[in-house]
Amino acid sequence: MTSKFSVIGQRVHNIDGTEKVTGSAKYTFDVVLPNMLYGKILRSPHPHAKILKIDTRQAKKLIGVKAVVTGKDTLGRKQGIWRRFPELCDEEILCRAKTRYIGDPVAAVAAIDEDTAEEALDLIEVEYEPLPAVFDPLEAIKEDAPQVHDGVELNININRHIEWGDVDEAFRKCDHIREDQFKCSSQAHVCMETHDAVASFGHNGKLTVWTSTQSSYYIQRLYADMLDMRESDIRVMNRHTGGGFGSKFELDSAQFCAAILSQKLCQPVKIVLTREEEFTATKRRTPMYYFLKLGAKKDGTLLAKEARVITEGGAYTAMGATALYLTGFFSSFPYKFPNYRYDGYRVYTNTEPSSAMRGFGAPQSTFCGESQLDMMAEDLGIDPIELRRKNGMTPDYEVPGQAFIQSCGLHQCLDKIEETIEKRGKLPPNHGIGVASYGFMSGGIFNWFNTPYAFSAAVVRINIDGKADVFTGACDIGQGSNTTLAMICAEELGIKLEDVRVFSGDTGICPPDLGAWGSRQTLMSGNAVKRAAAECKSQIMEFAAAKMGVNIVYDLDIKDGWIHIVNRPERGVSYYDIVKGAIRGKDGVAIMGRGHYTPHRKGMISPAYSFGVQAAEVAVDVETGRYKLVNVTTAHESGTVINPVGIEGQLEGAIMMAGGYGYCEDQPMDEGKILNPSIADYKLIRSLDMPETEILEIDTYEPEGPFGAKEAGEGLTNPTAGAIGNAVYKAVGVRINDLPITPEKVFKALKEKEKKKKAK
Amino acid sequence: MIADFEYFAPKTVKEALSLLSQYKEAKIIAGGQSLLVVLKQRLFSPEYLIDIKGISALDYINYEEGKGLRIGALTPHRTIEKSPVIQKYFPVLSEMENNIATIQTRNWGTIGGNICHGDPAGDPAPVFIALKAKLKLASLGGERVIDMQEFSKDYLEVALDPGEMLSEIQIPKPAPHTGTAHDKLMVMKGDMGIIGAAVSIVLDSKGKCEDARIVLSNAASVPLRAGKAEKKLIGKVLNDALLAEAGELASAEADPPADVHGSAEYRREMVKVFVRRAAAKALERARAA
Repeated sequence: MTSKFSVIGQRVHNIDGTEKVTGSAKYTFDVVLPNMLYGKILRSPHPHAKILKIDTRQAKKLIGVKAVVTGKDTLGRKQGIWRRFPELCDEEILCRAKTRYIGDPVAAVAAIDEDTAEEALDLIEVEYEPLPAVFDPLEAIKEDAPQVHDGVELNININRHIEWGDVDEAFRKCDHIREDQFKCSSQAHVCMETHDAVASFGHNGKLTVWTSTQSSYYIQRLYADMLDMRESDIRVMNRHTGGGFGSKFELDSAQFCAAILSQKLCQPVKIVLTREEEFTATKRRTPMYYFLKLGAKKDGTLLAKEARVITEGGAYTAMGATALYLTGFFSSFPYKFPNYRYDGYRVYTNTEPSSAMRGFGAPQSTFCGESQLDMMAEDLGIDPIELRRKNGMTPDYEVPGQAFIQSCGLHQCLDKIEETIEKRGKLPPNHGIGVASYGFMSGGIFNWFNTPYAFSAAVVRINIDGKADVFTGACDIGQGSNTTLAMICAEELGIKLEDVRVFSGDTGICPPDLGAWGSRQTLMSGNAVKRAAAECKSQIMEFAAAKMGVNIVYDLDIKDGWIHIVNRPERGVSYYDIVKGAIRGKDGVAIMGRGHYTPHRKGMISPAYSFGVQAAEVAVDVETGRYKLVNVTTAHESGTVINPVGIEGQLEGAIMMAGGYGYCEDQPMDEGKILNPSIADYKLIRSLDMPETEILEIDTYEPEGPFGAKEAGEGLTNPTAGAIGNAVYKAVGVRINDLPITPEKVFKALKEKEKKKKAK
Repeated sequence: MIADFEYFAPKTVKEALSLLSQYKEAKIIAGGQSLLVVLKQRLFSPEYLIDIKGISALDYINYEEGKGLRIGALTPHRTIEKSPVIQKYFPVLSEMENNIATIQTRNWGTIGGNICHGDPAGDPAPVFIALKAKLKLASLGGERVIDMQEFSKDYLEVALDPGEMLSEIQIPKPAPHTGTAHDKLMVMKGDMGIIGAAVSIVLDSKGKCEDARIVLSNAASVPLRAGKAEKKLIGKVLNDALLAEAGELASAEADPPADVHGSAEYRREMVKVFVRRAAAKALERARAA
């Protein structure tokens, strides 16, 4: 398959890799400007409180302090990505009357250095009236619970309903029904670069911002809303970004406070959140209570599924409403349920807001669904892989009323994984292999943001030396999108990868793009870049055809910088020579092409879906409950693979993150206070604890994607927790339904099991 | 952010001691791997900080047949881990070090700093107590030597008088047929043990247990010697059942904390497992010695 491509499918290193590994890449963290000040943010120590009075006089008197701002210095607007649904825009960022979680910002200081700014925070006197608070969503939906936001009945922020078929009737026809409950824990993003921004207002009233973000365009537009400015007077630049997993595409406290301070002073202000703030005062994965009902015929045909979900929303809506919808949609994945019903409720609580995080609701649904599926398989006496095969999605399948799936390699993935497990043969005692299947979207078809622009857009410019510059609003957050887009451009133009430069994530020079979230950049930004490059190519071909004087029935193409007749490749001219001539011929105007992509007629969720099956092997120490992840093998299909090295990186990162979600990552709280806000106490899987990983790539082709490609980064986060849960069960016969599956939980379950055995 | 302090960086022990006698409330910093965390959390804001990391005279490992092992207080963890002498005569120390934090931390953190921090979750103190280590403490008035076991007073509190600093750890040459082992429960390699156990067993010529030391980390406010468990073993020919009983006894003696990493109940259960495991390994080594 790949032989028809010159660049795509090659193992290439990130185009910014050298800069990064040598430490010369400049992140927002590294930005220093003349006259720049440093900002710090004062945050609420109470989970829920009225702000009675803020006295900033002493802080302002401290030598070196240049400005102190509070909610009174803002326009009092509320930010939210839900620009079509104003009632869901509920976050002031700098609170004016009330704080709703421990960490809610109440004031910010700009000073000549960080120490002084920090010292000034201690001098700000805030008088609070603590209010009764509520932390658990099951408590918050009770009649007499404290109100997190006034006028929100039962603290229900939003509800979502999805239904097709006749679920009740279908359950009546089932031979076997299971009802199970699950609890999904929180997870911190732990980006290597904490949220940060340098905001600079000029005396001309225009704002320039360097920031670590997944969407420069969203940040630009949200600034415009919050500051009442025209968006083109705001330039937001994402340069190198030290990670983004869903917490970096809404306006955050570093960005907003830096801008408010800079606006007052007309001096640049830099705010870098501390690691503790990153843990306690940004956004996190949504904790969920899951209630699942699954019905099957004796032969393993799944007839109906019902999911009821209550999520811990935290203090604000954030991206939580989408997580609530997607967890409901992906609860049916990747199976053909003829009857399905989902009801989800997102509940406000006085905790750090939960929001989007890699997988966007699907890691939760996949953990619960895949655990229950294994239980069903055991009940029915059917092999778990066979049960998945019997009900798994196939190409050209319509999820009733929701989505249309074109390419789908789930069955090939199941076959590969089955082979792999067989090859591993008989396992040592207390080892077990668990399997989980998954699917994910390639970019969301959601426009709650109400953008009037195309979802993705790109400009390609061909310079006199034949080099191509790609301008895209896509954001490279470490996932390698600049490399992917450069490869797509090079392939389309028939030139070398070194011939392409990428300018990305800068609203001052790049066309708007919704950014790096929802696994959208390879497919959506990739299509935009491909189209822009194609437009350049067709202009070049006009000159080439003229120069070559070819018969018009012949087709021309470019490969490795050689423009030639397709059927007679030796007859051709140099691309570089033609470009030189073409630009002269166009009165000196560089060759430019524009491309854009907005999904149309592709259902409600996404234009394409990726699929995969993962097998995790664990080895359990039955005396302690401690288990090791021995091996994680993933059969994965993402359409045409653009860059195998990129996929391997995504896979390893996903296993580290999703393995942590399954095994150890959690944010325990006491009265809304997160108890482990440091990397010492927040347990992440480190290199020495990583399992062997293997990826088995399945060849598929997605008609909607650029060169047949679709997403390959986020979906990989979905299966691991479920595969671990199933593996632990296979190994030692205990089933843990609440995440993370810690050694202590496994130990307790083993003790319970022993006790029951003795009682018999 | 760390509160301001006055900073000194003496290059000799003498210089350090005179600074210490001058600034009684000064805090010593060595590698800073524990102290900086506490300072950043503002749990502690010293006015004076005396940085002894530059005193190269206290970075050494010496072994002499008659005297045993001498480790300078400022020897980095990584040096101990990689020392051929230690790997030959006290392999338990190298194994213990290999499981402390990350290589970066071990490269900079010092053994003396770890001990003087007085964290009951730390690994070196229990292992040193199991090895009957003594500590040499220096002050302008002179030196004194105390048992490591007497050093820990309470959570983050050690028996250093004002003006005093730790200069050396002394480990006697073990009796013939001694075996020592350390094991801990880690969620991730390099973690502070949810629970840890260091066990030393000395066998007499007939193979009976002549002496035993069982010391636990993260099981009380100080490194905890499980005396009843030790007594259970002494004077007996050891077997699996006895080691398991020792674990049960040690578990009853423990008063472990409850925190985000584990409940007190789980820790108590794990004391049983890790005492038994470390003891079994120590016994195997004693028999082989």
